[in-house]
Amino acid sequence: MHKHWEQGGRRGAISAAAVAVLLLVAGAVVIVIGVRGSTEPSPAASTMPSATSTQGDSASKPKKPRGVAARELPTPRSDFGLVLPGSSPVALTIPSIEVNANKIVDLGVAEDGSIEVPEDASAPGWFTPGPAPGQLGPAVIAGHVDSESGPAVFHRLGDLGQGDRVKVTRRDGSVATFAVDRVESYKKNAFPTRAVYGTTNRAELRLITCGGRYDSETGYLSNTVAFAHLVNA
Amino acid sequence: MHRTLTLASLAVASLAVSPFLGIGAAVAANGDTTANLQPVALNGVDASGTAMVQVNGNKIDVTMAATGLLPDNPHAAHIHFGADARHECPTAGDDAKGDGTIDTTDGDPAYGPIVVSLTKTGDTSPDSGLAVDRFDTAPGGELSYERGSITVAPEIATAIADGNAVVVVHGVDHNGSGKYDGKTKSDLDPSLPTEATDPAICGVLVSAPSGGADTGYGGTASNDNSGLIALGGGLLLAGTGAGAVAARKGRARI
Repeated sequence: MHKHWEQGGRRGAISAAAVAVLLLVAGAVVIVIGVRGSTEPSPAASTMPSATSTQGDSASKPKKPRGVAARELPTPRSDFGLVLPGSSPVALTIPSIEVNANKIVDLGVAEDGSIEVPEDASAPGWFTPGPAPGQLGPAVIAGHVDSESGPAVFHRLGDLGQGDRVKVTRRDGSVATFAVDRVESYKKNAFPTRAVYGTTNRAELRLITCGGRYDSETGYLSNTVAFAHLVNA
Repeated sequence: MHRTLTLASLAVASLAVSPFLGIGAAVAANGDTTANLQPVALNGVDASGTAMVQVNGNKIDVTMAATGLLPDNPHAAHIHFGADARHECPTAGDDAKGDGTIDTTDGDPAYGPIVVSLTKTGDTSPDSGLAVDRFDTAPGGELSYERGSITVAPEIATAIADGNAVVVVHGVDHNGSGKYDGKTKSDLDPSLPTEATDPAICGVLVSAPSGGADTGYGGTASNDNSGLIALGGGLLLAGTGAGAVAARKGRARI
């Protein structure tokens, strides 16, 4: 490589400059075409997940109640509320957005360090290194927003509203019902690991799917995350 | 002159490339790790919890919550690591003495010695491993812990970020008396019953998934032309790069 540089001389510099000009022109032309094209109305746009639907009121939402009764102790008594023993999820129902999944696959961490995703676009996946839905902590279930041909299991996740119910049937036969607290949209390159996977002082659930702009090279640029907590079982 | 320039550009090139190859200068440990805390084998504890340790250089931030522990008794909690340990939680096979329980010595081959004491106040070194007055007492069986900016040695920060450290919460009630008692003394501190120091729940700190989830194939995406725009941007960048090469070549010939 460097040998070529040494021998390239003036002629090399001129031809490199010519290539640069050509690339610059080509790039500009392609961008103009791209921008023009994308101003056309896109019928599919309305089916994009409305990831920010409940984001507005999340900031003003009061924090969850913490140990109320002050005791004569250095440590305030915590109150985690209802917590279930560990048991794997086997089915997931979300009536308000017509999700009925009778199969849940196991997810771990992929080679590149990201969370694995289900191969089957109709099956949500449970992140098995974390707690089970109903256990203390943040249980994580991820599902696809679409397949290559159409909507997938979490296509309407962004339409969830505060208070909507999420029912998780577990292997031990119990049905853990969660109430949605908020739905957020995050750029994948600014994903809030702490908020999604970090410690919580109650049994919580996160439902994750894709959203935002779609790039044909890298896929969706954002994730839609629904945060919920256990209300009964 | 030529030679110097060429070597310099090679050096620049390798500097630019090395972060992607994971070689080059040592980088400070960084990363978010989580542990799913589960009952330690043989010890009859019906508790669970989670912990998160965020590593920033030689500082760690720790949060932890657990439920089902023996209420209102101090629960020593630590991060354990040993270079020779298995970086795991102990199994029934680790009951070396065959007494039907896992005590702290039994756990050592699995998770190694204490490297950080998760005290609520004051010292966090291994010296505070049994500072029972500074650990959470789990009122109602619920333990809630948060402490930021704990300083650790570089090799400990690296061990945690690499997924080789283990969180252990100690304190079990084998005989169901509601407190730490019994004839068997702790192998760590003979002034304490073994119940006070036996491991209750345990979890390996593993890297939390990085970035987001690739949960879409694009079948319902709008036909925007982001791909074309990106291609155009790429060509522009390539053009700029080629321009830079041309400029550098020009300079190199001077």
